[in-house]
Amino acid sequence: MPDTRRFLRSTLTLLCLSLVVHGQQLKLPVHSGSVRLAAIGDMGSGTTRQYELAGMMNSFHEKFPFDFVVMLGDNIYGGNTSTDFKNKFELPYKMLLDQGVKFYASLGNHDNAAIEKAYKPFNMNGQQYYTFKKGNVQFFALDSNYMDPKELAWLTRELQNSGADWKICFFHHPLYSSAGYHGSSLELRQILEPLFVQQGVQVVLAGHDHVYERIKAQKGIYYFVAGSGGELRRGDLRKTGLTEVGYDQDQVFLSLEISGDELDFQAVSRVGKTVDAGSIHRNPKAKGGLTTEQRESLAN
Amino acid sequence: MPTLFWFLGVAIATPGLALPVVTIQNGKPVTAQEAILIKDFSDRIKAYVALQKKLEASLPGLKSSNDSAEIASHAHTLRVMIIEARPNLQQGNIFTPELSTYFKSTIRKTFQEPGSQVVRRTVQESDLPKPIVVRVNGVYPDESPLITTPPTLLNRLPELPKELTYRILGRTFVLLDNKTNLIVDFLPDAIP
Repeated sequence: MPDTRRFLRSTLTLLCLSLVVHGQQLKLPVHSGSVRLAAIGDMGSGTTRQYELAGMMNSFHEKFPFDFVVMLGDNIYGGNTSTDFKNKFELPYKMLLDQGVKFYASLGNHDNAAIEKAYKPFNMNGQQYYTFKKGNVQFFALDSNYMDPKELAWLTRELQNSGADWKICFFHHPLYSSAGYHGSSLELRQILEPLFVQQGVQVVLAGHDHVYERIKAQKGIYYFVAGSGGELRRGDLRKTGLTEVGYDQDQVFLSLEISGDELDFQAVSRVGKTVDAGSIHRNPKAKGGLTTEQRESLAN
Repeated sequence: MPTLFWFLGVAIATPGLALPVVTIQNGKPVTAQEAILIKDFSDRIKAYVALQKKLEASLPGLKSSNDSAEIASHAHTLRVMIIEARPNLQQGNIFTPELSTYFKSTIRKTFQEPGSQVVRRTVQESDLPKPIVVRVNGVYPDESPLITTPPTLLNRLPELPKELTYRILGRTFVLLDNKTNLIVDFLPDAIP
C-alpha cells in the first residue's frame, strides 16, 4: 500500500513536472538515426527525489526519445531484497521500462555484484564489465571497484579491436572530480588515463560524487560526473580549475546524442532546469580526435 | 647471456638458495620461494572453486533472472551449502602462516613504498563500511559499501579466478566469494 501511494504521488509529481519540461527548451538536435541515451549515477536510494528525477527523465523522453540509459553505479543502495529492486529501480523507471528503454548498469561501491550482474533488467549478462555497440558508438561498462590485471587486459583488447567512431567508457569512480567528499580517483587515473588516451576514448562518464560536473577536456578526453541521479550532496562542489560546468543544488540526469562526428549533451535537473548543454566534435581523421603524435605524447 | 644461464643453473641446482628472479608467474617475475608459495595458494583456491562449482551444479541452473529475489535465494542456498561443506574452519584455512607472511609483506610494500600515497588514498576516499565482525564463513553485509581494492595491489598479488575477490575492510584483508559474499578467509592487521 505505501508503495502504491508513493507511485501515485510520483505519477502526480511527474505530471506537474511534465508541464514544466514542456515549456523548457530542448538543446539536443534529435537527428534521425542518431544514438540517444541518458546517464544517471548514484540513483538507487528510493527517495522521493529519485522518483521526481525519474519523472523528469520520462517527460524529457517525450521530446528526446532516448533508447537506453547507462547507470553509473550505486544502482541499489542499502539492501538487495525484491522490495529494494522494486522501490529503487522498477517503480521509479517504470514508465521508461514500459516504453522499451533499456538500462545498462555498471557497479558502484554500494552495489551487490553477485545479484546485480544476474538481474536481467540491468543487461550485464552475468559480467562485472562488458561492452556493447549502438550505431557508430561502442560503450565500455567497467567495474572500478576492482580493476585487476584481467579487467585491464580485457579493456585494452576490446578498445584495440573496436572499429567504432566513438568510444565511451562508463563506471563509478571519477578520474576527475572537484567534489569535496570523494574527489578524483588518482590511482585509477594513473592506470586508466594512459590507456584511454592511447586507444582513443573520447568520453568518460562516472558517478560516486553526488553532484554534476563537466570537466575541462583532459588530454583530449571529456569527463562527466553525473552522480546526483537520486542522492545529492548539496554544496559539495569546490569548483576548481578542472571544472567547466558544475551543479550541486539539485538532482540531475545527463542526456547525450551522437550523430556522425558530433556529440551533443544536455544536463537537466529534477525541476527541468538545463544546467549544462553543449557539443563535442570528433576529428574523423584522427583516432579519438587526436593525432598519433598527440596521443603518444599525452599517454606518456 | 652465458652469465644468465650460469645464474639460472645455480638456482636450479641449489634448492633453497634465495635468488632474485627465477620464474614468471602471472606475467610477473618471482623468486623460487615465492613461486612455491603462489603454487600452494593457487592449489587452495582451485580446491575452493571446485567445491563451489560442484555444489552449485546440484542446484537448479540460474544465469540471470528478472526477479532479484530468485537470484538472492540462489546465492543464499549456495552459501549455506558451502558453509556446511566447510564447517568449523578458522582464519588461516587459505592464508597459512607462510602465505600470511608473503601477503602481508606484499601489502605492506605496496602501501609504504615511495609514491604509494595514491594507493592509500584509494582506500581512504571510499565510504566507510559499517563495523562488522570478520570471520570465516561470515557474510559481507549488503548494507556495507565496498572499499576499492587498489589496482596497484591487485597487480602484485596472485591472480584470482572470477569466483573470488580480494577485499579490504579497515585493516583486515579479506578473501571473498564473489557469488555468495561469503568470507572464505582473512588476514587481520594486514593493512599498515
